[in-house]
This record gives sequence, C-alpha cells and structure tokens, in this order.
Amino acid sequence: MSPVRSERADALQARATSPRRRRSFETWSWFFMRLSGLALVFLALIHFTITHIANDVVTTNHAFVAERWDNPLWRLFDWSLLALALAHGLTGLRRIIHDYVRRPAMRRMALIAMVGVSGALFAWGTFTIVTF
Amino acid sequence: MSVTDGRPPARPVGPERSHERSPGRRPYRGRTGQWAFVGHRVSGFLVFFFLLLHIVDVSLVRWPATYDDVHAVYGNVVLRLFEVGLLFALVFHSLNGLRIVAVDFFPGAVKNERRLLSAVVVMTLLLGIPGAWMIMLPFVRGHF
Repeated sequence: MSPVRSERADALQARATSPRRRRSFETWSWFFMRLSGLALVFLALIHFTITHIANDVVTTNHAFVAERWDNPLWRLFDWSLLALALAHGLTGLRRIIHDYVRRPAMRRMALIAMVGVSGALFAWGTFTIVTF
Repeated sequence: MSVTDGRPPARPVGPERSHERSPGRRPYRGRTGQWAFVGHRVSGFLVFFFLLLHIVDVSLVRWPATYDDVHAVYGNVVLRLFEVGLLFALVFHSLNGLRIVAVDFFPGAVKNERRLLSAVVVMTLLLGIPGAWMIMLPFVRGHF
C-alpha cells in the first residue's frame, strides 16, 4: 500500500473488485445486528409480556424472581437476553457515536466509556443471575 | 444507495482505521424512511439505557427487602406510563427491525417499503394499545 492512499480507499477498491469479499468487522457487525435482533424479538417481547402483561409489575417481587430462577432454563433465558441485548445495544450505540461524535478524541472517549460501562454491567448482571 | 448519495464525500473523521461512516443524519432525505430511521434510533437508544438501569435494579434481588422496596416503585402511575413508553419503543423497534431484515435479505421488498412501514406502525398500535391497557389497569381500577 502506498502511503498516499488511505486504508479506506483500499478497502473500497478491494470490495469493488474482489469476487470473494473478505468479511470485515463491519460486515460481521451488520450480520450480528440482524441475527441478535431476530433472537431479541422473541426474548425481549416474551420477557416483557411475562413481567408486565401476564403478571402485574407489582407482583414480580423477590419471591417471583426466586421462583422463576429456581429453574435453570429461566436463568439461561434471562442471561441470553442480558448478553444479546447488551451486545445489540452496544453495536447500535457505536453506530450512533460514529455518526454524531465527530472529534476523534471525543469519539474515542465516548467509545471507551460505552464499552467500559456495558462490560461492567454485563459482569454485574451475569454475577446476579449466576450467584442468586 | 452509495455512501455519499450525491453529496460531497464526508470529511474523514476519527482514527484512520475507523470504518466508513453511515450516510449520516438524513440518509433518506426526509421521506418515510427517514422517520423509520429516526424512530429506530430513538427507540433503540431509550431501550438500551433502560436496560442499563434494569441490570442495576435487578441486582438488588440478593437483598430481598431492599429489592421489594425499590421494586414497589414500578407500580407508581408515573412509572407505569414509563413502562407503556417502554412497551411502544420495544414493539416498534422489534417490528421495524424485522422490516429492515426483510428489506436487507429480500431486496425486492423495497418496492413495498411504504406499505411495510405502514404495517409496522399499525401493528405497533395493535399490540401496544392492549398492552398499555393491561399495564394501566391497576391504576384505572384505583389500587396502585
């Protein structure tokens, strides 16, 4: 690669000319968004229906959670929802930051903060579900 | 649609290895797709921040009394309205996401793009209004 051309121009040309595209991180991110989104339609809507429609929110107290989490499959359900929703939201927020935060230093800080907070909450949520 | 869509190319931003920017604030030039785009971003953003809060409030479950005290707040009418908003955001984001997947994997569907978006809006209302009624019912009946 000559030092004058940007990596981006190279990537665009490679994409236009290569018959078998290399799957870039962005392609995987696009694909992940669709797959996790499809799973989340079921996971999130079932979760919301159980905790707000089928049961009134007031009745979903500690005893309700204890009874549900007695079954490891519900723990697995809730953990899948936690992991996929966080990763899906993180990917979406990354997109938003790239669109609206223009200054490189600010963008880097926003991305680091976002990944840090989500990572910490993922660990925290996993700890809650596993050790309850 | 090309990345620049007839406009001058976006000025390069961020670290050199950063990916291409998406088309930016108005990729659909104010037509129906623009509203779907805005709705999808706003609903996704709100649901994500509720998720962060929700991870923290559920983590109180290891202290039963504290959990029950904090949890009781969700029965308050203000938070019930908030839950109704969450329901509409979730349902719209889900259905509009399915529309996006449909258009991505079946490019022919783009011919029916407007009709698909109308279906998303109608189905959001059809699912959201009965759900909102169920959430508000205890308030309507006077014990909240």
